[in-house]
Amino acid sequence: MHCTIEDLVALRDGEGSVWARRHVEECAACQAERERLYQRVAQLKALPALRPPRDRWTAIRDQVVAERSRVRRRWLRGSLAIAAALGGLMILRPTGPKLAYGDDLAQEKQQSAQLETALRNYDSDSRVMSGREADLTAQLEDQIASLDGRLTQLDSLQGSAQLVDLWRQRVDLMQQLVQVHVTRAKYVGL
Amino acid sequence: MTLSLSVPDILVARAKSGDLDALEALYRAFETPVYNLARRICRTSEDAEDVLQETFLEVVKSIRQYRGEGHLWGWVRQIAASKALMRLRSEKLRATDELVDEAAGSPPASVAVGIDLERAFEQLSETSRAVVWLHDVEGFTHEEIAERMGRTVSFSKSQLARAHARLKRLLSPAVD
Repeated sequence: MHCTIEDLVALRDGEGSVWARRHVEECAACQAERERLYQRVAQLKALPALRPPRDRWTAIRDQVVAERSRVRRRWLRGSLAIAAALGGLMILRPTGPKLAYGDDLAQEKQQSAQLETALRNYDSDSRVMSGREADLTAQLEDQIASLDGRLTQLDSLQGSAQLVDLWRQRVDLMQQLVQVHVTRAKYVGL
Repeated sequence: MTLSLSVPDILVARAKSGDLDALEALYRAFETPVYNLARRICRTSEDAEDVLQETFLEVVKSIRQYRGEGHLWGWVRQIAASKALMRLRSEKLRATDELVDEAAGSPPASVAVGIDLERAFEQLSETSRAVVWLHDVEGFTHEEIAERMGRTVSFSKSQLARAHARLKRLLSPAVD
């Protein structure tokens, strides 16, 4: 009676029975079979590496960038809600001469809100972007997020020229961001 | 398969901070071994490509959790094996696999004997291929394989023995 392949595999993994170990030491046929098993495994390890037929990095990168944009937008919406709430509180306070730029400020805020709505209509998360577009989008969103941070801090200065200027910068960046999506949508016929 | 899989620590640190260029460099370093592992297990190259993509999305998501214990390739390989086996399970191929294996007591008449090892390996069921590749080539233990497959250790061991028995038959010279 010879060792089964199960016995030989177990012996190789250091788990074989005492009987199998003793038998292999004495049986030339089982030693040869064990050697063939070792050879097969060595040949499997030596098989040439199979390489991916296509580059998948672009698809991975696009998904990563889209996910980061989603997280940023969530943060942005939170920041805007806080800014709006603070702004609303300040409007209720008597402000006197500081309201010199009040109309300009209201106009910039309204334009910014309209652009936010336009941007949402493009639902960029579910669509494919090129690497360049994704880069540009990420940069613009970073700049907007940074501006929002400053706006949150300065929103108490209702009617100041500095605040109006920051909101103008925000509108400008939002216009660029919307333009990226408009261009891409035209290109892919969406 | 001999590939250099060492990655500089500085690259790992940059990848952990979310640097896309560093993450791409990691992808370039590991795309072939990950694809190779997946392709040896999965039925089609498309499935293996999907495993490659899912593996790296997981790497990007989880790299901050990599503590630098052991080689980075070992960590990536664990993810790749899990994704490949998850794909096998999600496609519910196990049931048909087992039928194929049960029927493999002797090679069907249409299957040539005396073929080369790579072709013989491809003729194994996906479950058998997964066990042989992960255990004999990648160095996973039966416990690790069983856990990822949702099966028992003895299932993994018996799959390995049966796979080798079948390989032996397929590689035997044809008898006229």
